[in-house]
Amino acid sequence: MTTTTRILTVDDSPSMRALLNHALAGQGFDVSQAEDGMAALDWLAMNEVDVVITDINMPRLDGFGLIERLREGSRHRDRPILVLTTESSEEKKARARAAGATGWIVKPFDPEKLVAAVRRVSH
Amino acid sequence: MTSEEIQAIFFAECEESLAAAEAGLAACKEGAQDDDTVNAVFRGVHSIKGGAGAFGYTALQAFTHTFETLLSDVRDGTVAITESLIDLMLTALDTLSDHVTAARDSTEPPEDSALQADLTAAMAANAGNTAAPVTAAPEAASTTVETTSADNSSGENTSGDDFDLDFDLDALLDDISGEIGDTPDQPRWEMRLRAHAAAMRNGSEPLLMLREMADLGGTCMVCDISSVPPLDSFEVGTGYFGWSFSFPAEVSEAAVREIFDFVGDDCTLAFGADNAMPDVRYPAVPAKVVAEPAPTSANAAVGPTASAPVEAAPAVNDDHDEGPSARSQQAPPAPPAPGQSIRIELNKLDKLIDAVGELVIAQAMMAQRLSGDGFAATDEMTLIEGLTRDIQESAMAIRAQPIGSVFSRVPRILRELASSTGKHVRLEVSGESTELDKTVIERLGEPLTHLIRNAVDHGIEPADERIAAGKSAEGTLTLSAEHRSGRILIRIGDDGKGIDRDRVLAKAIEKGLVAPEAILTKEEIDLLIFAPGFSTAQQVTNVSGRGVGMDVVRQNVKDLGGRITIESEPGSGTTFTLTLPLTLAISDGMVVNVGDQTLVVPLANVVESLRPEPDEVQGLGANRCMINVRGRFIPVIPLSEAVGAIGATSHPQEGVLIVVETEGAGRAALLVDAICDQRQVVIKSLDTHYRSVEGVAGATILGDGRVALIVDVDSLVSRSLASATPAALAEAA
Repeated sequence: MTTTTRILTVDDSPSMRALLNHALAGQGFDVSQAEDGMAALDWLAMNEVDVVITDINMPRLDGFGLIERLREGSRHRDRPILVLTTESSEEKKARARAAGATGWIVKPFDPEKLVAAVRRVSH
Repeated sequence: MTSEEIQAIFFAECEESLAAAEAGLAACKEGAQDDDTVNAVFRGVHSIKGGAGAFGYTALQAFTHTFETLLSDVRDGTVAITESLIDLMLTALDTLSDHVTAARDSTEPPEDSALQADLTAAMAANAGNTAAPVTAAPEAASTTVETTSADNSSGENTSGDDFDLDFDLDALLDDISGEIGDTPDQPRWEMRLRAHAAAMRNGSEPLLMLREMADLGGTCMVCDISSVPPLDSFEVGTGYFGWSFSFPAEVSEAAVREIFDFVGDDCTLAFGADNAMPDVRYPAVPAKVVAEPAPTSANAAVGPTASAPVEAAPAVNDDHDEGPSARSQQAPPAPPAPGQSIRIELNKLDKLIDAVGELVIAQAMMAQRLSGDGFAATDEMTLIEGLTRDIQESAMAIRAQPIGSVFSRVPRILRELASSTGKHVRLEVSGESTELDKTVIERLGEPLTHLIRNAVDHGIEPADERIAAGKSAEGTLTLSAEHRSGRILIRIGDDGKGIDRDRVLAKAIEKGLVAPEAILTKEEIDLLIFAPGFSTAQQVTNVSGRGVGMDVVRQNVKDLGGRITIESEPGSGTTFTLTLPLTLAISDGMVVNVGDQTLVVPLANVVESLRPEPDEVQGLGANRCMINVRGRFIPVIPLSEAVGAIGATSHPQEGVLIVVETEGAGRAALLVDAICDQRQVVIKSLDTHYRSVEGVAGATILGDGRVALIVDVDSLVSRSLASATPAALAEAA
């Protein structure tokens, strides 16, 4: 990897954002944070990112809504987007993928698995 | 940030979540049982559960899991909200609060088994299946991070035997591969895979997966290209390549499977050397209509009829097997059935259209002749007239193409603009199937590009300005096309800041385009941006060019026989409207008499026509004059002089003045004897039939069979005004 992978983490829970930041920044990723889907959209309008990691259940605009909005435009159509999910059932996976997610991270996450998931989708 | 600090954030957050959940439940008790309130409670509990799992508070996580499952049922409407349920949930919330305190202080968690049982009993899912989630939940806490296959067994929907089977199979396969590894003859195992089209959706990149397999120790043995079709039947979205990989024995099949976890069925995997390469999945497969997979299994799992796990299990299984394939089949929209078509040389087509033009003229001549002889209202004439019009329209339609071919280039322009200006713009397109003449389409690209660049560069504000103005950070560009009364209207609208009229006027005065004391209407100020040499950009950017753009745009549109107008609202955006003829072969014209000649003035140039009062005409030298049109002086050009017509009037009061707008020479008033008609004329090129004549744009045949010249207003006016030098005036005097 020649340049730092930039990641936007979207979660309404400060502790989850802190955990993600802790796990990713320690691995050399450039991590930014947004507290919900709307904040993420505003941030993305002015910043570039390589991977988006988003929670599903959030106020104002939830994770699926965020993905939908991002996939609508051409700019993020092929952007890797990982969702944070507390379930790993096939049903939830199918729903996440149908919503346009590239992949998922099961909460609670293992930092190594998190990093592996990010690497799996980022160039 | 240390782990303790993050935990401190978590506990602070727990307090907030508990407070929010409590407020929500209180509101529920007051009767506010809407989705938002229930969702707020759910989110509070859900958020605690997420953190509890992350920090390993098993008891807290188990309790929140049960509570959350019930709340999820309430939210989905499968459990009705009753007074007693709210009380139960309030009790649960108190216990949750105790759990949080215990976790924070590292004390013994509260006894909650009775309450968990109550919560479980309240769930719809457990109508016929009581205690399972209680025991499943703590399992979830401890195993979710272990392996994905173990996760499957701990899902909320009451694991069936199939999951255990999967798990055992994986373990078994691991064992087998381990045994193979011990045999020195067969140190490696093989698998084949094919990535289908849908594997590339949603930001997935199969190449990265191949790379990951290589990182695991896999070696690509063969890349199967046998399915790659000849180039002319090549579909870009289809996965034609297959790969076979070999792995050392110590790599487990589960590890390889996990790489493809994200894409599911969109990559077909075949393990073992005996399996053949999976088939290519062609997008043309008729889409199988499968009910939305998620609700199916959810209903089966939580519905009161799903009394036994035996029933629930196949539903989950279906979801696994059919869900992804159904999605991938839906993914590429079925291509529209291609209509049959033939290719025609363009000049053959033009000959046909030319002949149809003659037919229209001949029909008009015949109608005029017959009406003179008293046969105007015969049925046959009406029929022929209708048929002629139909033939003409059909012939024009052959040359017509949807404007979508121009519009489809716009996203790319916007992408380029986004990278050079940093402004991200959303595009809304409508009417892309609107058809117009091929030549018009070909010549429309340039002015359209200019207008779009202009809209993004000057119209749409930078994201921070937009947010400050209360707009969304991303600008919106609206592009639309529609037919209206025989012409086509193309609109290019932005939701930007609108035209800054003060600045435009100041700039125009500075450039000497208008007099400093001039009082202009809003519309007149807007039109100034089309003046040659006008540019309001403080700094010349490489996007909108150097102020040559907008006047060229207007010229291009005029050349197409069209018009361009502006509507701008400060703060909310600007819309440019292009009104274009459907074809260049027919044009709207004003038929005028000048002495012994009949001429056609293109309607695109005409602003208004008027009969002046004597005091509005001002003499200039011996035989020149100006006319005062609402405070603005416009030179009068007798059209007879320009075309050498005999017997025409030379006094503005005796004839009619047609005020025309020209590109290079501003406005002028053409003096003609009378306006006879305003009609569509079939344009005949003078170049091909005679030769190019300055001041004449072409010719047409009128209904009475006479040939009329179509005036090239631009060149005629500029030539006429150029000759009116002081020397020429003095000579004439």
